Amino acid sequence: MFGWTGKIIRVNLTEGSIKVENLKIKDAYEYLGGRGLGVKILFDEVDPKVDPLSPENKLIFMTGPLTGTLAPCSGRYEVVAKAPLTGTVGGANSGGHFGPELKFAGYDGIIFEGKAEKPVYLWINDDKIELRSAKHLWGKNVFDTTDELLKETSEDARVACIGPGGEKMVLFATVMNDKHRAAGRSGMGAVMGSKNLKAVVVRGTGSIKVKDPNTFMNAVKEAYKKLKEQPVTSAGLTTYGTAILINILNQVGSLPTRNWRDGGYFEYAEEISGEALREKYLVKNKACFGCPIACGRVTRIPEGKFKGFGEGPEYEAAWALGADCGVRDLAAVTKANFICNELGIDPITMGATIACVMEMYEKGIISKEEIGFEAPFGSADALVELTRMAGLREGFGDKLALGSYRLAELYGYPELSMSVKKQEMPAYDGRGVQGMGLEYATSNRGGCHVRGYMTSVEVLGIPVKLDPLVTTDKAKWLKAFQDATAVVDSSNICLFTTFAIGVPDINAMMKGLVGWDYTDEDVLKIGERIWNLERLFNLNAGITKDDDTLPPRLLTEPLKVGPAKGKVVELDTMLKEYYEVRGWDEEGIPTEEKLKELGIE
Amino acid sequence: MKVKFFAHYREYTGTKEIDVKNCKTVGELLKKLSEIYGEKLSKEFFDGEGLSSRVIVLVNGRNIVHLSNLNTPLKDEDEISLFPVVAGGL
Amino acid sequence: MNPAPEKNLYKGGVAGVRGTWRPAVVMRKILMISPEKCTGCRTCELACSFVKTEVFNPKVSRITVFAFDEAAVSVPMTCMQCDTPYCMKVCPTSAISKTEDGVVKVNGEKCIGCKLCIAACPLGNITLSTVEGKIVKCDLCGGEPKCVEFCPTGAIEFKEVSPNVLERKKAIARKFKELLGEAKE
Repeated sequence: MFGWTGKIIRVNLTEGSIKVENLKIKDAYEYLGGRGLGVKILFDEVDPKVDPLSPENKLIFMTGPLTGTLAPCSGRYEVVAKAPLTGTVGGANSGGHFGPELKFAGYDGIIFEGKAEKPVYLWINDDKIELRSAKHLWGKNVFDTTDELLKETSEDARVACIGPGGEKMVLFATVMNDKHRAAGRSGMGAVMGSKNLKAVVVRGTGSIKVKDPNTFMNAVKEAYKKLKEQPVTSAGLTTYGTAILINILNQVGSLPTRNWRDGGYFEYAEEISGEALREKYLVKNKACFGCPIACGRVTRIPEGKFKGFGEGPEYEAAWALGADCGVRDLAAVTKANFICNELGIDPITMGATIACVMEMYEKGIISKEEIGFEAPFGSADALVELTRMAGLREGFGDKLALGSYRLAELYGYPELSMSVKKQEMPAYDGRGVQGMGLEYATSNRGGCHVRGYMTSVEVLGIPVKLDPLVTTDKAKWLKAFQDATAVVDSSNICLFTTFAIGVPDINAMMKGLVGWDYTDEDVLKIGERIWNLERLFNLNAGITKDDDTLPPRLLTEPLKVGPAKGKVVELDTMLKEYYEVRGWDEEGIPTEEKLKELGIE
Repeated sequence: MKVKFFAHYREYTGTKEIDVKNCKTVGELLKKLSEIYGEKLSKEFFDGEGLSSRVIVLVNGRNIVHLSNLNTPLKDEDEISLFPVVAGGL
Repeated sequence: MNPAPEKNLYKGGVAGVRGTWRPAVVMRKILMISPEKCTGCRTCELACSFVKTEVFNPKVSRITVFAFDEAAVSVPMTCMQCDTPYCMKVCPTSAISKTEDGVVKVNGEKCIGCKLCIAACPLGNITLSTVEGKIVKCDLCGGEPKCVEFCPTGAIEFKEVSPNVLERKKAIARKFKELLGEAKE
């Protein structure tokens, strides 16, 4: 088979059985791979009403046809399950080298069912697959676990694992691979922990085949050329990493500050910016598999109480742990990010949850005694300690581990959680960037920025420049972004390539790789199909139009400073238009017609 | 008016911000900055006579593309931010 | 002084002033590795395996990247086309030879697969490819190395020896210019 390997591993952890199945070709052509194929399997096999942390949920690791090839930035894979944090379809994408290695071993993906009686890990060595005891690893952090596993399997293997965060089912726990890369959001690590699955280790010596090498190489060379000519992918991300956005968002008055309470302007943004990171703590940039961009940050805090070595922080993490908590100390923010990676928890949800706690602390809703120490906005010490406690579920950390919505609800103030469908919104204030407001409200995995990245057009002006303060055309552009992103997440190359290339380029590569004859519209339709399937799953899980909303703060508290002063998110207008553009009815339900058009039963 | 530089513009100019006077429009300001800091900067700002696609110019946080482009008028109290198009977030 | 060359490393020699002998260095291009530029992306491994076998499989790539994460260093390693190739010396059928361009080449027809060359190479850069069923090593792709074409940072370059070393010297010298110089560019 070309592109895809054609094989999927199915592990029943309850029985301890391992089967290798054939990839369903029809599904591969309709859902591509990665996120799309993972969602299709979830839709077909899992009851949407299931408890995400029960053995009935399934955890799916899935690569795409382009993973592991010479397509630019081909190092990606997706982890899919019903999400514990949101109760919606969940999923997270990750880079590094794990995804390609799985394909070299000969598999497109792995489906985990049931629950193991005792902690185990899966060791895939080409065609030798076995479940091994992970008792001696349970309790170890991500870095130590990875080192141990490489020693007892093979030095050149690749590891995806959970840390204490996943083991203890912190609702926003991550699956970490290659130590510092995260399948970050919606709590995939918690699902893994709920199954007593500590890690997946893979080593592959096989090959990925190409149908038409010449066509493929020409398409690949074109793509590389475009990436080289685009300033974001050829210089910006490489030099400054993603945190360069801190100053940009701050200047357009849309960097949410202090739990979104203090408008879109953080007076200390400069101190936690990409420029500052580069100056103070950057050791070197680093690339994922097959990537010419190399936006990864290897960082070190050489001394002091926040001393440490690792990777990051990325923009969203720097925002969540920094501006959102009012913390201006970059060393503390970087250290908190290291801890998130070590323990295996999502820094975005972590920072936003701490921010929520800080606001409640300042309002006198949560006491110092309960937390164990003072936790006002701006406290670097509180930030770092609370992060550690949450990852280990120690003391007050047990409440933090629930995420901001359930925590705030415990105290009777759910409106202080800056989340949608219980997942915290990231680093773009929808009041200043209207299209992002719509993305948060409509994203299938809750408060998510990346699956419909309107910031590209509204702030960066790529590929066109839209005014962030107006609502015109936002719905139709958002649909285009969401559908295209679903394609990228499923072909499984990195989303950052889309600053320079798009669906037509992916189609050109796929033509050479697998020899299909789709038009660009057909490929975009795959994205639309995936989006609608996710929506159906969510509706069956109990999500309704009422959940396509935003926290009251964004709808009723106008920004107080900056170019967007006086603005709230004009959601009603945009949402109505969005449903229309999507071909859904007024309740936000895909119509029969639309489903038929997409070939979904 | 205050002019702020970000990302590698800081390296080209050697500074994070400067005060500039007597520029009535954005176009005038960018020309003046090019005079002060040289070709490296003017290449970032201009494509011929027009605004280049490699720069984001904000006046009080608003992209000039949504105002009047190079003809956007300036007042003494204005704050202008200059960014190379460099990023995306995750 | 009459420096007597101990090893005839280079082809021929040049008669110098008053009867002295100087070895003539043959200027040819080699793969120059600059690990400080390597980001660990392994695109070189993919490009190599693809151009040689038309599939993607880093295990058959002639070039391998080693990442030492704790030190934030990664190093691409491949055959350095030795001037005194041990693999060539040890081959019982003379299947390995050094060409005019300086490439240490394996003649598939003469090779009997004894694998002594693998044992002999001190750098580990010649191996048996199970996919292709033969001894493989870097052959500089006939003069247009694919790894160089695809490397995004220039960590691998194909050039004559001296200029690269000169660049490094100049890079350090430039630091003094910044330190001591007055004029800004």
